Amino acid sequence: MMRKRFLFSLVSVLLLSTLLLAGCNSGKSSEGSGKVTLTFGTSQSGIPRTGIMQTMAKEYEQETGVKIDFQVVPDAQWRDLIKVKLASGEAPDIFNVDVDPLSMPANVRPEENAIDLTNEEFTGRMSEEILPTVSHNDKVYGVSFAPTKIWYVYYNKRIFQELGIEPPTSYAEFKAISQKIKDKDIIPFYQAPASGWYQVLPLFETGPNYEQMAAGTYEKLNNNEMKVADMTQLKTVIEQLKEFADLGYFGKDFLSNTVEAGIEAFGQEKAAMLLRVPGTEKEVSEAYPAMKDNMGFFVMPWGDNQTIGVNPGGSAAMFGNKNSKHPEEVLKFFRWITEHDHLQRVFDEGEGNLTICWPEIEPKLTQDYIDYEKNHEKGTVMQAAVKYIDPQWMDIGKDLSGMFAGAMTPDQILQNIDKRRAEQAKVLKDEKWQ
Amino acid sequence: MLISFYMQRALARSCIWAGRKGVIGYEREQNLSLVFFIGSHCVISAVHRCPALLGIYYSFTDWNSYSSEKNFIGLEHFRTILAGDPTYLLFIKNTVLFTLVTSIAKTVLGLFLALLLVSGVKAANLHRMIIFSPQVLSFLIIGLVFKSLLDPNNGFVNVTLRSIGLDVLAQNWLGSLTWAMPSIMAVDTWKGMGYIMVLFIAGLLAIPRDYYEAASIDGAGFGQKLFRITIPMLMPTITIATVLNITYGLRVFDAVYVLTNGGPGNATDVINTAVYSSFAKGYWGLGSALSTILFVIMAIISFFIIRLMNRKVEY
Repeated sequence: MMRKRFLFSLVSVLLLSTLLLAGCNSGKSSEGSGKVTLTFGTSQSGIPRTGIMQTMAKEYEQETGVKIDFQVVPDAQWRDLIKVKLASGEAPDIFNVDVDPLSMPANVRPEENAIDLTNEEFTGRMSEEILPTVSHNDKVYGVSFAPTKIWYVYYNKRIFQELGIEPPTSYAEFKAISQKIKDKDIIPFYQAPASGWYQVLPLFETGPNYEQMAAGTYEKLNNNEMKVADMTQLKTVIEQLKEFADLGYFGKDFLSNTVEAGIEAFGQEKAAMLLRVPGTEKEVSEAYPAMKDNMGFFVMPWGDNQTIGVNPGGSAAMFGNKNSKHPEEVLKFFRWITEHDHLQRVFDEGEGNLTICWPEIEPKLTQDYIDYEKNHEKGTVMQAAVKYIDPQWMDIGKDLSGMFAGAMTPDQILQNIDKRRAEQAKVLKDEKWQ
Repeated sequence: MLISFYMQRALARSCIWAGRKGVIGYEREQNLSLVFFIGSHCVISAVHRCPALLGIYYSFTDWNSYSSEKNFIGLEHFRTILAGDPTYLLFIKNTVLFTLVTSIAKTVLGLFLALLLVSGVKAANLHRMIIFSPQVLSFLIIGLVFKSLLDPNNGFVNVTLRSIGLDVLAQNWLGSLTWAMPSIMAVDTWKGMGYIMVLFIAGLLAIPRDYYEAASIDGAGFGQKLFRITIPMLMPTITIATVLNITYGLRVFDAVYVLTNGGPGNATDVINTAVYSSFAKGYWGLGSALSTILFVIMAIISFFIIRLMNRKVEY
């Protein structure tokens, strides 16, 4: 008798639970038969802040009835979040990820997570320089709108003229002009350690200089035949950064500076130099009209560098989620956004980049840039050519902040880089590190 | 949890039905209790215990975001953390130091404020509300506000110090090796002391007035009343406050992450910022191992605190 009552209670509970779950499930299936919505996950800097992508997505919806739902996440979190979402099978239908040829396969795992775009018509129209950053094992998985990314030192021409100084071509000259600028109570070179990534640029954007001084460095590093700590020229750059900090050339209390505040300091002529990419002139001029035609540029002289470091990737690319419920709709969107007229609009109404990785689109480089590039040797930046550097970029940024604060030495920073490279190589089972 | 609610209700209704069909005797009560227990236990196990145990299991694997495989590797992560890399010991040390200092500071300040606010001061409830209000704010909000206040160049703190001629006291509060951790501790103490104050107010109001009156008759001063009556009578409250402070302090993440992100360098990194960093890099097994170590530390410390303070209470 007791057994029957117990069983009845148990059956009642199970039955009600089943009905409840069935109710949830029917809700989902009814949504599936209606209008299609594609989720688009991205970091803030992954799409132009001008909102052109959202604007064009609205037009796409009017044309096709397919809605694009943007999920914009702060940069610092997105890099981590997308990894977890991919691993748990919850990634958006379309996701934007910063790419380079070395890190993308590990971060995205495209064979498992991304729609294969190799045979799409638009794939053949993308720049040959960009394809390696969105490819893995000879298959193409991503769509990018990246500029050719080059970091230059931008300087205030007025300040330079008043002080009778010229753009430096060596570290010694760099130091000398910085002292003259500092003597006038102007911040010589704006540094932004609080943003975490900015202070790392001098170490690796000058990578072509290391290759020039010791050919084969990249290859040896990738084969684990030498360590980062063996690179005396890289140590020199780190030491020079430390020297600039100690001499006050980054300004007083610069450890709390952010990149955003740097645009302001430069625009208000409180800082004479800062690191930026081509297209900066437009951004600064619009916010600070007095700066129009007052900006020049030169390559970073750290380590006596005179090469132009080019990052073939370094920006976001769109990937279609292989596990999406609407793979065909994702492909249609990619085909639409890569039509010539739409590419032109993304370029024209985007961030103000002067180039885009689609050869059919005419670049907007000024003659100054064209001439400068002709007169300087170019090479690939270190983080896009050497394994296990880019993934630890933020960690190196923290280490450099620690060095500026007095907690670390340049040698310790180099050792940490090697340690983290070994860590990741081990996790990825890299045969060169066995 | 909605499902849990409906399951519980369905369970209750089923038991009522069963009850109406027969006399409820001792044996039957036992079975009905068992039915309730099973229902609740299943839910709690599913959403709380199983993930915790699974996390501990992952501590022994090379689980990471770069591969779908999980290989058992024994104590390798624990060896790395405790012996292989001195940085992790620094994180543990920072966590313990943070916990120790903020626990003491919150307890002392909380007690001080509680004594003030039960001593008959006017508008006591208003003051309690004001002091408690930081507790309900997200640390993200507090972090952004204090980052602004503590900015070395334009922050309110340094601008004020300089304006009254105390330039020597103006520091790079969040960017200095010396001052970053004390600054975080100060902000966290400011945020959390209101909660401890409320606990102590409740404890103080529970102490019979008679004891103080008797003590006054015998000529006891404030100090004697405090150490002979107030604090002994508050020992259960102090125990609770200490356990709460320590379990919060050991798990601190948001305060550090928002204010300094563990910087400058690793100067203010704690265990949970390292856990976050490991998961961010995709080293999920290592992150789980760090969490497991933190869990063990918390369990041991909580156990001993309760034992120690319970003994005092008995005395």
